[in-house]
Amino acid sequence: MRKLATITLLALAFACRKELPKTAATETPAPAQEAKLTAAPSGPAIVLSSAIPGDAQFGALPPNATNEEKLLAIQGDFDIFSWNSFIALNWPPGPDGNGDPTKTIGQDGDNDTVWEHYRDVADVFLPGGKPPVWKGSTPVPPECTADYAPGMRILSQVGKTPTVLTEFSQPFNTGPLIDQNGVYTRYEILVNKPMFDYILSNSLYSKAGQKVFSGTVKFPCGVLGGAEGAIMVKSAWKIIDSSEMSRFHSEEVLVYSPASDNPPYPAKCGKQTMGLVGLHIGHKTNSGAQWLWSTFEHVDNVPTEDDVKGGTLKASYNYYNPKCSAADCPPNQVPPRPWDPTKVSSFHSQIVRINTFKGNEFAPTSAAERNADAVKLLAGVNPDSVWQNYELISTMWPTNTGTCQAIAGDPLGTPAPTFLANTTAETYIQGMVPNVSSNCIECHNNATMTTPVASDFTYVLQRAQ
Amino acid sequence: MTTTPVPDNILADFANMSAALTGFQSSVLRPFLDPVNLSGLYYGFAVSQVSQQAMDALLNAYRAIATQPAQTIADTLLETASPTPSNQAQIAQSIVAMWYLGSWYKPAYQNAGTPGAVVQVVSSEAYTNGLVWKAAQAHPMGYSPFTFGYWSQPPASLATFGVNVPDGGGQ
Repeated sequence: MRKLATITLLALAFACRKELPKTAATETPAPAQEAKLTAAPSGPAIVLSSAIPGDAQFGALPPNATNEEKLLAIQGDFDIFSWNSFIALNWPPGPDGNGDPTKTIGQDGDNDTVWEHYRDVADVFLPGGKPPVWKGSTPVPPECTADYAPGMRILSQVGKTPTVLTEFSQPFNTGPLIDQNGVYTRYEILVNKPMFDYILSNSLYSKAGQKVFSGTVKFPCGVLGGAEGAIMVKSAWKIIDSSEMSRFHSEEVLVYSPASDNPPYPAKCGKQTMGLVGLHIGHKTNSGAQWLWSTFEHVDNVPTEDDVKGGTLKASYNYYNPKCSAADCPPNQVPPRPWDPTKVSSFHSQIVRINTFKGNEFAPTSAAERNADAVKLLAGVNPDSVWQNYELISTMWPTNTGTCQAIAGDPLGTPAPTFLANTTAETYIQGMVPNVSSNCIECHNNATMTTPVASDFTYVLQRAQ
Repeated sequence: MTTTPVPDNILADFANMSAALTGFQSSVLRPFLDPVNLSGLYYGFAVSQVSQQAMDALLNAYRAIATQPAQTIADTLLETASPTPSNQAQIAQSIVAMWYLGSWYKPAYQNAGTPGAVVQVVSSEAYTNGLVWKAAQAHPMGYSPFTFGYWSQPPASLATFGVNVPDGGGQ
């Protein structure tokens, strides 16, 4: 791959610009986004591979492409990166936790995955600020010990900690997400080895370490054809029964709810079969100093606004009841308090995907094309592959950034698309209002450590104890 | 506002003219990759306010002097030396205000008999992307693209904000 001759879009850009009238204004060198993109003549493609892409690969732009055509083409390249990341991260792992190249994703319908062997952030930021260990043991709450078996994951509902964006409060403290069976959705956040190593080597796993850290937090960037950068994986899960297992990637895990005072309930832990409903991949790369944000959902999660208006609804959804009218089940409402995840709720979330791509139609157009390509590949491995039941919503990427370095005058890098929400994670902040509606880069740009120091687009460092 | 897609060459001329008028780099007003597309939004908005014919005339006036230095283009089209700028110059001035402030200030010639200027915010993107914030090396109220603690550091240079300054901009 590295031997492929590359050309820079800078050349293409200047070729286009030669057609423009030369004025004092146009003679100024173009910003860095034109230089950072490297185009491969053959163009990228979605492939069945266990190799996690270190960065997006870019195809050549159509000659004399309009702005919309350029955005569509490059969005397509980033969406291919997202699908290749999804495939590699969900590849069956070998004994070392990396993808086993002798196996294929979905060959047996479902499989264990690479990212589930990453380190849960609960095991990175330990009580007392103790140094974490990459393959260390998982702290097991007393309520879980009876059901715990070595290697079993624990999905925790983290207690209310005002300064921490906990898994439970992922829908941004505006309320939990409750499925059509009245069960609370659970979340977990994991980090890959490069991200873990950066945290460990800079002692950012503890408050004390963060306090004496004097530099700028700068996680490693992935390189095209080379090493992966820092990766965060956020996943959302719902309890499923045996009849649903053929449509979901599923795991038997321990679901733990620590005790709460308000509302009062005791700690509870139990073994459950959980189905994956949302997967959010953040990867810092050379072309994504603001990280590349790939967000996937289960295809049965929710209908779109257009589905609801046009009456093109499925028989059932994970988070929408098609038989309930808008008057009886107003969409996208926060569940009424009290919130008690240890009980089955009479409230069922009625979630609709808001169209947040107005003016950025290249994003859903590209995602639909790549989803169709990916499903063909995945179904080709095994027609019963659970992985074909996941769809890319979109990839958010910076259109204006340097190589592994933001531009000072445009620190957000002018993201495309402008807004992007996963209905399992940003459920209640879908929309198109700047600084309010879901924009991965804009929101994560506000993240700090436990000290008032920016933390390079991740909130996980706030968990240090 | 027009809903028909505007040809890229027209938008390029509009952005290049706007660059000369505002003192910003054209690549900031109409980036190589432009998911916000303010140049398209502003072009359409201005046409809806002053007519296609008036906009065509202004762009033709620009094209006739497009090879001149930016300052000459600005002085000519804005009629900065004239105490009574023409209707076309007033349109050019409204376009400058739109880029800087994200609002449309009705040209004086359209305001006959109306006390005060009629101002219209073009969109939320127009507000957050107003050039005034870049020129001030700052950000609008209620919206900051900077990381936490940016206020403890000197601002980035004007050049990194896209201002066309020969010396690269000061602090």
